[in-house]
Amino acid sequence: MSPQGLLLAFAVLLAALPARAETLIVALSSQQVRISSNFTGSSITVFGAVERDAATVSRAAFYDVVVVVKGPAETVVTRKKDRFLGVWLNRSSRTFVNVPSFYAMHASRPLEQVTTPQLLKRYQLGTDQIVFPVVADDGAVSAEAGDAYREAFVRLKSNARLYQSHPYAVSFPGAEIFQTTIELPANVPTGRYVTTVYLFRDGALLASKEEPIIVVKSGFEQTSYALAQSQGFLYGLAVVLLAIFTGWLAGVIFRRD
Amino acid sequence: MQLYLPIAELPVNMFIIFGMGAAVGFLSGLLGVGGGFLLTPLLIFSGIPPAVSVATVTAQVVASSSSAALSYWRKRQIDMKLALVLTASGVVGSSLGIVTFDLLRRVGQLDFIIALCYVTFLGTIGSLMLTESVRAMLQARKGRATPLRRPGQHGWIHGLPFKMRFKRSKLYISVLPVMAIGVGIGFLGSLLGIGGGFILVPALIYLLRVPSSVVVGTSLVQMIGAMAVATVLHATTSASVDAVLAILLMVGGVIGAQFGVRIGAYVRGDQLRAMLGLLVLAVGARFLVDLVHTPAELFSLASAAGPGS
Repeated sequence: MSPQGLLLAFAVLLAALPARAETLIVALSSQQVRISSNFTGSSITVFGAVERDAATVSRAAFYDVVVVVKGPAETVVTRKKDRFLGVWLNRSSRTFVNVPSFYAMHASRPLEQVTTPQLLKRYQLGTDQIVFPVVADDGAVSAEAGDAYREAFVRLKSNARLYQSHPYAVSFPGAEIFQTTIELPANVPTGRYVTTVYLFRDGALLASKEEPIIVVKSGFEQTSYALAQSQGFLYGLAVVLLAIFTGWLAGVIFRRD
Repeated sequence: MQLYLPIAELPVNMFIIFGMGAAVGFLSGLLGVGGGFLLTPLLIFSGIPPAVSVATVTAQVVASSSSAALSYWRKRQIDMKLALVLTASGVVGSSLGIVTFDLLRRVGQLDFIIALCYVTFLGTIGSLMLTESVRAMLQARKGRATPLRRPGQHGWIHGLPFKMRFKRSKLYISVLPVMAIGVGIGFLGSLLGIGGGFILVPALIYLLRVPSSVVVGTSLVQMIGAMAVATVLHATTSASVDAVLAILLMVGGVIGAQFGVRIGAYVRGDQLRAMLGLLVLAVGARFLVDLVHTPAELFSLASAAGPGS
């Protein structure tokens, strides 16, 4: 590359810089959640700072921050009961494929004030914007907002605190420093979670950053779960032996004749 | 104190579960039943997934049955030959039950079928027990004893082929009805998470005329065998046996049962059977209400794979 070409490239780079001058620095209070026998839920605090380079002038408008935590994808059957011959039973269902098992959205303001519907849709921000792919033989490609099964799914997940929306949960202790605390309930699924932090100003997305969180069972919880999953036969045998031993022990201890 | 259950994947209050086990154990010691038909619904109503409840109570039944069987063994009140035939056929029945259980879980009708079976069987058995015990109480008031076993009666069952001699029970009967009963109880037991003692004991007494001295001990051996196999199969096919939950229930159950047995010695047999009948009917009625009453939430979620469905 000629010296002129290099200079040109540098000039183009310099011109492009101010548009993405803000960078995000994100730190999590912990990157691993361990589920042990006394686990009753946990919380993760997301800290962040907006860093500007010297060339970017401070602007008057506020930053908006949206933090999304997504759990591992799962396939879920949503069933609906109907009355049939006087009794209530599951009559119809819809299977959602690859939907997040956990979804928490924390924002500094309600999402509709943060940015445009187009951007919300593109980045799947908020429970109304998550794509709900439907299994092929259920007739549709994906369930739109307003679909009865989809609404029931979000409602049941929200009741279990596995889907959360907190529009005013991100706070700014300083002008360019923010924080929010994500609550993980006791029934959180295990697996790899992804925290994504989005930085907006005047409705425009300035930067985004991803951080993983791992939720694992630990110690005895992990050992017994892994054994139950991979060595079901041995696990069952061990439980039966334990049951017979408990019964025998009780019979010996409480012997009355 | 909260304790996280590794298979049910939720925390429970240890003392509540322990207390449930103890309370059901007390009633089972008092009334001479396994108590699975009370424990499984209690767990389901308290939020444990039905699949985990059924599979785990299956293991608990093994513990409570072996504890009780031990004392019958010491008193030589078990017909081992009859027990072996019943157990072998019970194992076949519970294998069929597990296959059905897994199939129903997949198509999303497990809860419905469990509820329907509870209504049907508990309703029938409960009504029979209650009428029989009330009649016995009325007779006792008039000063007459009712014989449970009417000797010399031979129904159609005694005309069947493949006769076998059961010395301890003083019976010479066809193995076909014995096996049919074994298969049936094994099937229901693994499908519903019950030992099935409250169905098995009357069936052995009224259908096969097994003497009441050996009937309870023999049926306990059948339950140990069939439920042990069901536990292993549940663990193998759906990984839904929760060992932590099982331990809490077992320990609570065997302790509660000891107190129940002691109190039971002071209560008359027909009164105990009336209480049991009422209890069985109450559980059945609770399931009936759930079936016909319009639910507050019509929708339910089930993971397409895993034990939580």
